[in-house]
Amino acid sequence: MVNNNTLGLIFSENSEASLGELMKFRSLAAVPVGGRYRIIDFMLSNMVNSGIVNVGITAGFKNRSLTDHVGSGRAWDMARKENGLFILPPPETVDLNGRIMGGIDYLSGAMSYLNRSRQEYVMLSDCNTICNIDLEKVMDSHFEKDADITVVYTEEPNISPRELGKHILFDIADDGSVSDIQIYPKRQKSDAAYMHMFFIKKSLLIELIEDCIAHDEHVISKNILLANLGKLRIFAYKFEGYKKKIDTIDAFFEFNLELLKDDVRRELFGEDKKSIYTKVKDSVPTKYGREAEVKNSFIADGCEIYGEVENCIVFRGVKIGKNTKVKNSVIMQKSQIMDNCTVDNVIFDKEVILCSGKSLVGESTYPLVIGKRKVV
Amino acid sequence: MKSKECVAMILAGGQGSRLGILTKNVAKPAVPFGGKYKIIDFPLSNCAHSGITAVGVLTQYQPLELNTYIGNGQPWDLDRNDGGVYVLPPYVSAEKGEWYKGTANAIYQNIGFISGFDPKYVVILSGDHIYKMDYSKMIKAHKAAKAAATIAVIEVPWDEASRFGIMNTDENMNIVEFEEKPKNPKSNLASMGVYVFSWDILKKYLIADENDPKSDNDFGKNIIPAMLGDNNKMLAYRFDGYWKDVGTIESLWEANMNLLSENPGYELDDPGWKIFSRNPAKPPHYIAPNSRVKNCYITEGCEIFGDVENSVIFQGVTIKEGAVVRDSVIFPDSYIGKNAIVNKAMIGTDAYIAENSEIGSVADDANKDFVNTKICSDDITLIGPNVSIAEGIKVAGCSMVTRNIKKTSAEKAAGKKTVKGTATA
Repeated sequence: MVNNNTLGLIFSENSEASLGELMKFRSLAAVPVGGRYRIIDFMLSNMVNSGIVNVGITAGFKNRSLTDHVGSGRAWDMARKENGLFILPPPETVDLNGRIMGGIDYLSGAMSYLNRSRQEYVMLSDCNTICNIDLEKVMDSHFEKDADITVVYTEEPNISPRELGKHILFDIADDGSVSDIQIYPKRQKSDAAYMHMFFIKKSLLIELIEDCIAHDEHVISKNILLANLGKLRIFAYKFEGYKKKIDTIDAFFEFNLELLKDDVRRELFGEDKKSIYTKVKDSVPTKYGREAEVKNSFIADGCEIYGEVENCIVFRGVKIGKNTKVKNSVIMQKSQIMDNCTVDNVIFDKEVILCSGKSLVGESTYPLVIGKRKVV
Repeated sequence: MKSKECVAMILAGGQGSRLGILTKNVAKPAVPFGGKYKIIDFPLSNCAHSGITAVGVLTQYQPLELNTYIGNGQPWDLDRNDGGVYVLPPYVSAEKGEWYKGTANAIYQNIGFISGFDPKYVVILSGDHIYKMDYSKMIKAHKAAKAAATIAVIEVPWDEASRFGIMNTDENMNIVEFEEKPKNPKSNLASMGVYVFSWDILKKYLIADENDPKSDNDFGKNIIPAMLGDNNKMLAYRFDGYWKDVGTIESLWEANMNLLSENPGYELDDPGWKIFSRNPAKPPHYIAPNSRVKNCYITEGCEIFGDVENSVIFQGVTIKEGAVVRDSVIFPDSYIGKNAIVNKAMIGTDAYIAENSEIGSVADDANKDFVNTKICSDDITLIGPNVSIAEGIKVAGCSMVTRNIKKTSAEKAAGKKTVKGTATA
């Protein structure tokens, strides 16, 4: 059913995520993943699949690729007369280096969108947690608990010390309310890890944003959630499905290769799951040549494969030549690997050309990244 | 309504009865082709690329799937403020109502629709051929020659010419005679079923044809000969590319297989002339560690654990471990079970082939109940849409399976025994 009382707000940038070369020309939300998607497709589809008909996406400065990808929102059925998809331009509040400072600054840039929309509730989310989540359940839990804010978390025991510093953990009381929040802790005292998604009444959100702006506060987790612990009814909803946060090249590489596992594909794209939409390209089916040897790979439409491919994620329109061996790699849209090449543990950005006879080898713990449109 | 210089009308009402079970519930233009298309995608995409933005699709036989598929025309960029694509079924009016009696009558009944755009030219297309053609070039030739009608023709091998409508022309490509399936063809230029007419002239002939009770109301049989008889300027427009009538199971299978050849004669993957289709939101396809894929077309949403060779696999197909698919066309969302063998077959949409079964079997004990050499020639086996074939069943080559094949009770009992035997062993 259409849920005309909730609007969605997705942050296309995340200052804590850095994907280096892959974000040189594009925002985090527009980074290609999983053979035919962009990072934003998952959260945007989740919102649409939960009946949300009005979604705002806050844009950073490098937004060309994002706006090109989402377009009018038609691929998500969001090209509407009423509501639909809105790209919210970057806010004017920047720090001395010209950077946007935090989530609240993006929200302040979205104020007029929030005020103009008719919806009473807001579902906010970062773009870079890949999952297939039924957000209606989050809303149901919110109303059932009569909460002011409902945050989404996932059970994550044994977070490595290196990763822990990037997590926000909750202590959750028996009634499901959040009793403590630890931002970037040094020790893991709880397994409840925040998924950077929350649900709130719009009027309350606007009030909280205005308060933060008035106090020169910039960080949602600290200044909206932690600051209101004990003052507002903050409840937690537990998501039990597969999720992967993409905030580093390593995480990006891991996520892509995890799609080779049957259970991960089932969690994201299974028959009982709602569809993940993306821009339609009308590619032809993928053609396999007579000498092709393909094992354990996830391959989108429009490719031509004549060589050996093993443990790879291959995006739309990729060409892999004869006598070429490609292993453990992520090859983005329209890249070409010519004949007699060897490729192992490499991430190819879009439209890279690897000339005949070349060899590129990275390490599984340190994949080689080849930037967009490079000719090697 | 704003006027359009040209309106295209696609004849999509035919049953295509020679496609057997494939067109039992859908019209021929809605039959899947080439891994992710339906036949109608070709004329619709050609219209979109040729700059024709007002398109009528005439439906009659089993139109539901076609209607849903075309929808508002958005996949072909034919959702327009002015014009766009319209599905035009037969209708009743105050005086009378009737089915489309023939191709000419179908256009006659829609004179009102066409006149609404006040066009100079009307392009008449059939919705059942595979080809990529720029109609705008043909319209240009029609204009330059100041013709009343221009008919696209393609050279066919002389020994096949007697199967086609043949155009006999003078040295300037003016049509002097039209012969439908001539025994002794004088030319090998076959009509492709692609016509450009000057609308004011065509309209007169359509009305005259409708008033002739003896007419079959058919373009080939009536309108074209009548126009030739009156010495109208009729131009043959030569087309050099790939064109294939996929009216039989054999030709449909061949046209799919042709995509796998080194030189299919046309480029399906042409960035400037993409064939548009309604794309399902499916993830990339997965090829498992123990599968082998050679010389095939595979589409998004498939999960391939077995072996696939010389085959075209549509979206959402599952092929399980140990299964072997050879020289076959597998339509969307079908399931091929473990260790099943599919040999030179076309498997309909959403069909279910259980494990250890064999389609296109030459074994003596194969099920021959469905052998149908009228529809299935050249040893091609056809499994209908939504049909399921039970475990271990062998279906003989040249069969057209129209309903589920279950195990007989004797086979079931035998099957149970074997299972028991293995368990105790």
